[in-house]
This record gives sequence, structure tokens and C-alpha cells, in this order.
Amino acid sequence: MTTKVPPLTYKVIAECSVTKARAGLMTLRHGEVNTPVFMPVGTQGTLKGLLPDQLIELNCQILLGNTYHLGMRPGIETLQKAGGLHKFMSWPRGILTDSGGFQMVSLLKLAQIDENGVNFCSPFDNSECMLTPEHSIQIQNTIGADIMMQLDDVVKTTTVGPRVEEAMHRTIRWLDRCINAHARDEDQSLFPIVQGALDPELRKICADALIQRKVRGYAVGGLSGGESKHEFWRTVHVCTDLLPKDKPRYLMGVGFAADLVVCVALGIDMFDCVFPTRTARFGCALVNTGQMNLKNKKYENDMRPIDDECECSTCSRYTRSYLHHIAAMEAVSCSLLSIHNVAYQLRLMRSMREAIQRDQFPQFICDFMAKHFEGEPVPLWIREALQAVNVDLPPDDVKVKEAVA
Amino acid sequence: MKFVVENISKSSGRLGHLVQAETGKRFRTPLLVQTTKAGSIPYLSREVFDYITKETPALQFSLSTINHMTESLKLFNGTIGAYVGYPECLSLLLVRDTCTTTPSGHNDKDIMPLFTRRGKEMLTATSYMDAVEVLKPDIYQGLCDADTNLDSSKKRITKSVDRTAQFMDLCYERHQNSTVLNNSGLFVPIVGGYSTFARSDSIKHAKAKGESITSGYIFEGFHNNGLSATEVDVEQLLKVMTHSLNELNVEKPKMMPGAYTPPAMLELISLGVDIFDTSYAYCAATNFKALTFNFDLTKTESGNCSPFLDITTDSLKEDFTPLLADCDCLTCKKHTRAYLYHLYNTKEMAGPILIMIHNLHHMMKFFNTICNCIADDKLPDLVKLVNYQGHDAALDYSIKLNTKAISRNDQGKSFTVAKDDQ
Repeated sequence: MTTKVPPLTYKVIAECSVTKARAGLMTLRHGEVNTPVFMPVGTQGTLKGLLPDQLIELNCQILLGNTYHLGMRPGIETLQKAGGLHKFMSWPRGILTDSGGFQMVSLLKLAQIDENGVNFCSPFDNSECMLTPEHSIQIQNTIGADIMMQLDDVVKTTTVGPRVEEAMHRTIRWLDRCINAHARDEDQSLFPIVQGALDPELRKICADALIQRKVRGYAVGGLSGGESKHEFWRTVHVCTDLLPKDKPRYLMGVGFAADLVVCVALGIDMFDCVFPTRTARFGCALVNTGQMNLKNKKYENDMRPIDDECECSTCSRYTRSYLHHIAAMEAVSCSLLSIHNVAYQLRLMRSMREAIQRDQFPQFICDFMAKHFEGEPVPLWIREALQAVNVDLPPDDVKVKEAVA
Repeated sequence: MKFVVENISKSSGRLGHLVQAETGKRFRTPLLVQTTKAGSIPYLSREVFDYITKETPALQFSLSTINHMTESLKLFNGTIGAYVGYPECLSLLLVRDTCTTTPSGHNDKDIMPLFTRRGKEMLTATSYMDAVEVLKPDIYQGLCDADTNLDSSKKRITKSVDRTAQFMDLCYERHQNSTVLNNSGLFVPIVGGYSTFARSDSIKHAKAKGESITSGYIFEGFHNNGLSATEVDVEQLLKVMTHSLNELNVEKPKMMPGAYTPPAMLELISLGVDIFDTSYAYCAATNFKALTFNFDLTKTESGNCSPFLDITTDSLKEDFTPLLADCDCLTCKKHTRAYLYHLYNTKEMAGPILIMIHNLHHMMKFFNTICNCIADDKLPDLVKLVNYQGHDAALDYSIKLNTKAISRNDQGKSFTVAKDDQ
């Protein structure tokens, strides 16, 4: 064993000379990950409708598993006997697991949080359970993901008042308990989570405290929970300014294309979101202009692939017309659209990495937004966020004129 | 479409090949045709099917699951195979979906009920031939009334023969006069339930039009598709089939659609039937059964007590062995029973996908073995091995509805995942 090499190393390969974007290489026990990276979500040890071989074919380097779900089924004992999640699901590349806390608060109405941990009723037998920071880490140690998340005290983003501050401080206390409980630091890296809702002061206090701890990367949490986009980008902007440059930064639960581009410009390296695979199950394909709902009658006789430029196995063989006829009806349509949607996300990230490496990322942003909003006005929050990192999008009216000309 | 009989084995069975008219590509018989739903092999994208085999497949389409696409296919510049992701395949068109139970009844005058996802549609011989002309498959079946089974009354059986004759008169006429079906072979239906007299009547009508228009024969009316095909009375079936095959030209290929069990298929192959489909593999997969029956003549020690492994068995929870030891399919090479049990337990889509990969792979290898056994004149040995699996009594290969398996509701609105329709 090369025990001397830490289980996560991160190297910045290129920095954008205008924005805060950077391209990096993260090396894990289960292979390399080029950042910025999008991690598809395989909640229960499988990415819905896709096989591990297909993900490797798409050059997916890391995916996300949910601790709460895996702890319920197949359960920790089974995962222990299987030798961890990598072996259990036959996935040789990177895995990141969340702490399980978010699911408890979002799925279980009765979850109660106190200093000890999250108290909840098991949905299977209604027994009372307690998820403590120690317990979360113990489960995650058994799952064996390359990157683990600390248990944090999640409050709704829009919460105000002393509860926000309490949650932020508790998150720091829980981090120390997680670090103490972490039994496999040779193989797995524990990421702390910056909390503090929408208050820049609290975010700063939290980040400062986390930076004192010996960790290999950071997550920005508590966003994508109902706050306005203006508050969202400002908080991301604040956090990436606070976090050290030599470690990866993970923005949890973000995955819409425009959000990805903006947040990469703000200096985020890692993303995850269920949206690409979830929307596939409803018959929607991701394209540069947004979403294509293949159930729409207008695709009935459209003999083009979803996207001419896409190289995925779906676009190389199937027409919109055929997909229209099976979308959301036949199980296979879920596989076909999920492949395309994951391919779309990964391709978007690759294009961003390449643009950053050529130091042409600002131009990439302008081109992307022009295509994405197609003559529609670019939302103000995107303009402002990009201005904050020195990118001025061309005014909307000019773009409309060009389109007409 | 051309058919060549290469070799009739001394003891039983025969080898041959179908030749695709346009490409000259050969498909070896006994042939296992891939059954499809709405144009796709159930659960499998083309990319995933390619993990099982690199061989060009023959695909079986059922009008009842693709009828809603025929208008689009009119505008599509290519074959039905190309439209569904298999441009190089051999295409066969059937009327009914062999994977799910076909409801009985609704046989009004001149009308064949077609059960589609839009509900019951009324098919006439004319509208059927219109669809055939749009789809232009390499092989298509003639329209027939196949609404019979072992319990059918004499009257129903007679009706099915008469109605089929009526439908076929129009099919023959349209086929002969068609300008677009020159490369499509017509498989003439033989119906008549389990009555040898009725079968003879049906055969008489089938022969009356002359052999030149007939590319092959398709035997219908023994079951109502879906799981019912796995439960047919094989003894009765063989009696009727022996009788029928004696009355038919040896030179033509014979096809029997539906989920006949592997032992039944072997017996039928011994009699001279050439073409089957993968409905059995599908029916097993959708009920979470992985096929494990042994067809390797070098391994005859008794072991299997069941021809399949039920993935919903709780004892698999921590069984980290493959579905079938020594199997070289993707599922067995990479995944364990415990993982498949987990996918079943969490109702994840990868479950049926992985079982389907294994089951199709198993059936394809089974058919390879059949061809080799016919060539080596060992088919009777294979029949015995598959039936008895080294035990004293024959094993039960029928598939029952697995009520534990995921239901339609669990998968979202209209995913046809687990349940047989009835």
C-alpha cells in the first residue's frame, strides 16, 4: 500500500485570468477526477437506468451515493460484508457520499435536531433512531466512499434569526466530532460544510473555523433551498473568496446548466444534482437551449437526433421521433434519455475545463449564455454574478438584433 | 427472404438458415428472435444489447406495441430496424405482443381486435396490410384469429380457422399486388387450437394458394401469449404439431411465437420447428427469475432443483456469488446475487436490465448449443438433460406471476415493467 500518499490530492492545473474559475486534477484512491466536475447521483447504489459500464463509457469519474438510503437498504452489515459500496455495485471509480442528514430533514417530517444529532422515526418500522455525527461517519466509513461529508445542522436557507447562528456553530462542533470518529483517514477524505445561510458574516465565521481543521476539501452547503438566485450567487461568491485555493470546493445540490457555468466562474470545482436523471424519467432531454420535452407532439415526426453535436449512444442511434413514441412509457426510454442527459452534463463540464485551460473561459461564458437563452433576456442575477467576476455579457438587445440580422 | 435447409439430423432436428433478401445476410436456424416492446428489446438500449453479443440480431416486432409509430415510420427514411436503433437487423412483424397476455374475445365480423397502449383498436385485413406496407419488414405474419387455447370450444376453434381463411384471402391478394413487399416474406398462419382436424383445415387453406407466395409458416392459437405460453400442455402440443408438420412442406421454415419453455422448444425443434423468440427470457426477467438451467452436456451431475433463480428470495441478501457460476455474461462477471436482490428490493431499473442481460445471454448460448447438438446428432441427449437436470423427474419450467416483483405503480405512471397485463 502506498500509505504515504493521501487519499485525496488536488492540483490546480489552470486558472482563468479573468474569473475565479480554475481547472484542476483531483486524485483519489479510485482514480483521477478532472475538475470542475459534475457528479451524477446514484442514490441507492445505482444510477437509475444506467449500468456502471455505460458510465465508464461516458468517462464519468465520480458519482454520488446517499448515506441515508444506503444505510437503510442494503444496510451497513451487508455493505460491510460486501467490502464497501465500490465492490457492492461494481464501480471502480470515485464515489462521494453525503452525511445522511439532509435526507432526514427533507424526507422525514418528524426529524428533530438537538446537540447530540438528528432524531427521526424510521420510515420502515417507525422505531425512533438517532443519527449522530459519529454514527454518520461510521456508516460512511463502511460505505467506503472516497469523499465523505460531515453531518451538518441543516436549516432552511430562508431561516433568519438565532437558529441560523446556532446551526452554523453546531456544524463546527459536529465537524470536530466527525473528525474524531473518522476511522479510515488513509482511504477516505472528510469534507466539512460551510454553513451560515445567507449571512456573509456567519459564512465567514464558519469558513474561518473550518480552515483551522486539517481537511482535504470543502463543501458549500445550505443553498438551493428556496433562496432567491441573487442571494444564492452572492453566498457562493462569499464562500469561494473565503476558502483556500489549493483545495477543491464542492457546491452541494446544484446542477442546472446555467448555474454550473456561473458557479464555475465563481470558483466552484464540484457539483451534484439529481435533475439530469430525474428529468429523463419524465421524458425530458437536456440541450443547450434548456430542456426538450420529447413527449411534446411536435417531436412525433422529427427525424433528427436530440442534439446533432452530441456523441452519446442515444444521439448516435435514435431519433426524436422514436424517443417521442416511447418517452416516459417504456422503461428503456429512461435509460436512453439518462445516458444523453448525463453525457450532456459531462460534456458541458469538459468544455468548461478546456476553455479554462486555454484561458478562454470568459468567451465560453458569453457563447454559452447566448445559446442558452436564445434571444431571451439573460436573467439579471446571472449578469450580476458574472460582473462580480469581471465578465460583462453583451447587452440583450444587441443579441436580439444580431439574431434578426 | 429465402430459407435453406442445410442438414436434417438422423435422430431429430434440422439446421438451416434464413437469408435476408436485400443484404444476403444469413441467420442460422434454429433461430432465436429477439422479442421487442414498442420497438425495443425490453429494458435494453442498443448500447446495452451490444454488451451481450456482437452478432446481428433478428428482431420481432408486434403491431400491438408499435402501431402508434406507423404514421411516423411513413415519414422515416429507412427500415423499421433503423428507426429503433438496429439498422442491420432482420425484422419480423407479428400482430400480437408475445410478452403479455392477449385478452380474449371481441372477434367481430371482419375485425381483429388489436390491444395497444391506446386501448382496443379494430384491425381489418386491409388496415393490417396497410401497416405492413409502411413497416416493410423482412418477414411478416399473415393476419389470423388466434384466440384459442386448450380450453377453447369446438365452435371457437372452427371460427378461428374460418376467420383466418377470410383474413388471409385478402392478405394474399394484397401481398401479390404490392409494389413494396417484394423483399418481404409472408409467413402463413396455421391455427386451429388443439384440434388436429381444425389444424388440417387451416393447412388445407394455407396450401390452396400455392407455395410460391408462402415464405414460411407460423403456428398460432396454442396459448394467449404472456405467461400462458409457459404453461401449455406439451404432450397435447406435440401431438398437434407432429400431425401438422407432417402435412406441410419440409422446405419452408416454421415459426412458433411466444414464451414456450426451453424443454418445449427443444421438443418442437426435434419435430422440425425452426424459429422461436425470447419471450420466455423476458417473462422470466420481468418476474425476477434468472435462468440457471444447465444445457452443458459435459456437466450432467444433478444440481439444479429449479430452472431459474428467484431474485426476490430473502436468502440472497448477502449472497455475493454470481447468478450462475461460470456464466460469462456481463451481469455474472460483474455483479452478485446480493446486488440484484438489492436492486429488486429498492425497485431500481438496473435490476430488470441486469436480469434481462443474463437471461438473453443464457438463451442465446442455449440456442448455440442446440445448433451444435443437431450437427453432432445429440439433440435427444440435450432434451433429456434440459428436462431432467440430472434428477429423476422432469423440472417445472412454467413461470408464475411474481407478486413480490415491482408493480407498474411503483415505477411511475405507465412503465410496463413487471406485471403481466392480466
